[in-house]
Amino acid sequence: MLRRAYPCSVSIAPVQEEVTATGGDVLPDTPWVTIVWNDPVNLMTYVTYVLQSHFGYSRAKAEKLMMDVHTEGRAVVASGPREAMEADTEALHAYGLWATFQKDD
Amino acid sequence: MARGFRRRGSGSGVRYAARLDPLERATVAGLMDQVHDLLEPTPVPQTASRPGADDFSSIVAGLAMGVTVAAEDQVDLDASAAERDPALNRLLPTANRVDDEAAAEFRRLTEPGLRQRKAAGLALAAEALRGDDDKVRLDEADARAFLIALTDVRLVLGERMGLRTDDDVDVLETVAADLDDDDPLRYALAVYDFLTWLQETLASAMLVR
Repeated sequence: MLRRAYPCSVSIAPVQEEVTATGGDVLPDTPWVTIVWNDPVNLMTYVTYVLQSHFGYSRAKAEKLMMDVHTEGRAVVASGPREAMEADTEALHAYGLWATFQKDD
Repeated sequence: MARGFRRRGSGSGVRYAARLDPLERATVAGLMDQVHDLLEPTPVPQTASRPGADDFSSIVAGLAMGVTVAAEDQVDLDASAAERDPALNRLLPTANRVDDEAAAEFRRLTEPGLRQRKAAGLALAAEALRGDDDKVRLDEADARAFLIALTDVRLVLGERMGLRTDDDVDVLETVAADLDDDDPLRYALAVYDFLTWLQETLASAMLVR
């Protein structure tokens, strides 16, 4: 079960499409993102498991994000308010993934 | 001969079962203890609360070539960056790469809780290996703690062996192939590979299909 709505396309800047779609010239709520970085230790199977467990993503979505991390070196795994991204980052650290949060740019 | 984790049953009755001999269990539990102590540097005295601890310690101490993850065993590739044990930075990494202040604040707020959770999980996982039975059976919650504990041990061991990039793994394997059989680095890599295999079997068994 999804904890909140996520953009359906996953790229380095998935949120920008959403922002464009709103059409507003003022961003009421500047989105933040949670990023997972590649590392040589964490297993592909494990990263998939974590993304499924924590975010409730489907197997296919979790594997897609995992492959993005593996091949691109990093992937945005969630976007939303800063507090939510900090909570995701903390949870992913608990799992041993190298996660960071930052303002989407 | 070890047998990796397999899923048994379903729903709330699901169990993850593996078979590990006493030496394998002692080695893995010993490393979990070391990482536990790294996260919780002042552990409470552990005497009566952990029956068999002395036997266990003697098994670890009796290993022909013990593998340790102590800070002195850190392979030194980048000494200048280290004011804090680099292994701790792998377990509790920087959470914001563009804003040092936000990173520091995040660390201040989350590190005590993360240390506590990781230490508790490592203790639980090590305890699961301390039975007399070669069969290790875990329910879903314990399996999850065990899976994370294996991650934490591999992160620290990987850091101690200098693994920073995917390429380092290949380099290390090439280097290790030319080392003597009794070289500590070669032994550490063998243990690391064993942990990797064990974790892979458990993560695969736990994946939601």
